Amino acid sequence: MSETDTVTDRPASAPKARARARLLQGGILLLLFALLPAVLVWFDRGYFYQLAMLALIFVLLAGSLHLVTGVAGLLHLGHAAFYGVGAYIAGLLAADHGIGFTIGLPLAGLGAAAIAFLVALPTMRLVSIYFAVATLAIGQMLFLVMQNWVAVTKGPNGVILFGGIDLFGLEIGSRLGIYYVVAVVVAVSIWVIHRLTDSYYGNALRSLREDDQCAGAMGLDTVRLKMEAFTIASFFAGIAGALWAYTTGYISPVDFDFFESILILAMVVVGGLGSLPGAILGALLLILLPEVLRDVGDVRNMLVGLVMFLSILFLPKGLFGEVPALALMRRHFDAAWPGAGERRVGWRG
Amino acid sequence: MTSVTGITRRTALGLALGTGLVIGGAAGAWAQEDPVVIGYQLPLTGNTAQYGQDFKTAAEIALEDFNASGRLPVPVEIIFEDSRSDAKEGVNIARKFVDNDDIVAVLGDFTSTVSMAAAQVYKQAGMPQLSQTASHPDYARISPYQFRNITTQAQEGEVNANWLWERGFRKVAVIAEQTDWGQAVVQGFTAPFEEMGGEIVYSEFFNRGLPDFRSIITKIQRAEPDAIYTGLFYEDGAQFLKQMEQLGADIPVHSTSAAYNQKLVELAGPAADDLYLTATFLPTSEGEHVQEFVAAWKAARDGQEPGQFPAQAYDAVNIMLDAVVRAWPDVTRESMREALAATEDFPGVTGVTSFDEDGEPEKQMTRARIVDGVFVEVQ
Repeated sequence: MSETDTVTDRPASAPKARARARLLQGGILLLLFALLPAVLVWFDRGYFYQLAMLALIFVLLAGSLHLVTGVAGLLHLGHAAFYGVGAYIAGLLAADHGIGFTIGLPLAGLGAAAIAFLVALPTMRLVSIYFAVATLAIGQMLFLVMQNWVAVTKGPNGVILFGGIDLFGLEIGSRLGIYYVVAVVVAVSIWVIHRLTDSYYGNALRSLREDDQCAGAMGLDTVRLKMEAFTIASFFAGIAGALWAYTTGYISPVDFDFFESILILAMVVVGGLGSLPGAILGALLLILLPEVLRDVGDVRNMLVGLVMFLSILFLPKGLFGEVPALALMRRHFDAAWPGAGERRVGWRG
Repeated sequence: MTSVTGITRRTALGLALGTGLVIGGAAGAWAQEDPVVIGYQLPLTGNTAQYGQDFKTAAEIALEDFNASGRLPVPVEIIFEDSRSDAKEGVNIARKFVDNDDIVAVLGDFTSTVSMAAAQVYKQAGMPQLSQTASHPDYARISPYQFRNITTQAQEGEVNANWLWERGFRKVAVIAEQTDWGQAVVQGFTAPFEEMGGEIVYSEFFNRGLPDFRSIITKIQRAEPDAIYTGLFYEDGAQFLKQMEQLGADIPVHSTSAAYNQKLVELAGPAADDLYLTATFLPTSEGEHVQEFVAAWKAARDGQEPGQFPAQAYDAVNIMLDAVVRAWPDVTRESMREALAATEDFPGVTGVTSFDEDGEPEKQMTRARIVDGVFVEVQ
């Protein structure tokens, strides 16, 4: 997996690298929008559609947390609360005001981002463990609001959403249609997160993680950068929440409790801190593995734990660590530093 | 479902499987008809695994008796799937069950949240779903396919309101856990009690698993009620009763069938004495069904007594099996829904059960009291 050790004799020319990147991007799009749907249609089983959509939603959640915890290095223990805020905004708009997917989806993201911005104002000057505890408290606070503000959120009764997904007045009823909606939203979001991660902006965030005082001395506005990362991540968590609400039809506070935050965090850590492909792999692993192991019986959760434990033990940098992820982005996606495709990542080159 | 391609593919698969079976099972008893299959989604692991494991034991007892009874020419099978009380997994299982054409009806889930989320799938697919415990006020109204075997708080609250009124209590403090069920407990009791002319002097919700009830108890004492009506499960109930005793609060306490569990007495000790509660199931009851079930449960569980929830699960499974018998030989999802809806005066261990037009059970409630650590019926 480590691409850093291979040396190519001949540096590829820039157009060649770009063509290869196009090919790879096309391949991913083909997989997501043609191959996977073809497989789903072939099997024609609601269970597989459900798994595909759930996996995509958690890919987005892990991808968004990756920006805060992986790239900017802020341990965030309350991400599921913003996932919940998005779900509740979408759910309540649909249930109480008849506002559907087209407007509800962006509002869910913006609402989650707005709340994240407000709670970030006082917390962003906290560092390390103090920040982590603050996010824990924020997550718990938002959870308790969902649970106890019965007049607005309907409290533990949860929210039932009637009707499915409408796109500009067009009702999307078929399973395949809903899959495509989810896949497009997640793909666009992940692409944005990728552009934020593998760019000078991403490197600025990385510098916060490595040494924020040094980053500050270099003229970076560290507080502002942290706020931006936190708010953007919450925006995408809100989008994921809305997708969950629309595809499930029923939400309740326990879907967004502390354990959900930990699950998302585990995806990011197991996948590889600072690596977007890692976060995606981590989400796929932790969503699909418990389902694959269903036939094993009651010990399946223990097996999932064991896999996590072993992966942390033997791959402490994650299933797809940051260095190989950066190398992949540079070499094969022509991203982050165009033209620098063949230069090796890390300190050895 | 795209029927044309679906059928051809299924036929192809069936042919392939069939060929294998013929080769492999030539000597086997393969003339026998396929079993009727029912799905059961329940938490077998996770925070609420103790309940799910109880349901599984209860279902196995019921199923074994049924298959031995010969009421159907074919056996009934139950497929258990673990939902971990997680809505994500609950929905996955629901899709999986719906995909399985052999499954004609589903039991479960345990919590309202998971039952409600899964119900959205069953509603669309037209799969009858019978939950032994889902208590959300809107659950049974989701669609004609949802049924439950737990009394609603609208029924239980009224019985309790009458009972407290009869005992001469006019000022009552109400506390309940902050869940959909707890909300329903308070509403179900408050409305009829106030209608009779009673007064709710204090009402409070607490989050499940609260270790310290002292501030709530102090506030209750300050409100000077004649009695306390509580919507809590046995774990919280034990904490509450112990701390009531520690604070010397000498106010009569009433509760619902959810607090009915032998573990309440084990955890609270003498503090549990004189708790009044409604129940639908008493293992000390002399009914034949009850004693059979209690004996089978004790055999399966090292002499433990079954609580309210396993009894509800046991009845839910039996109601389902009874519906299979009535739907036989044409057992489909639709005929199962009709058979379930037609359930009337089913004699179970939790009393006689009928479903109303919403799929809500109508049950008889028993009044009980703890005397020297034993639940006894109050006449």
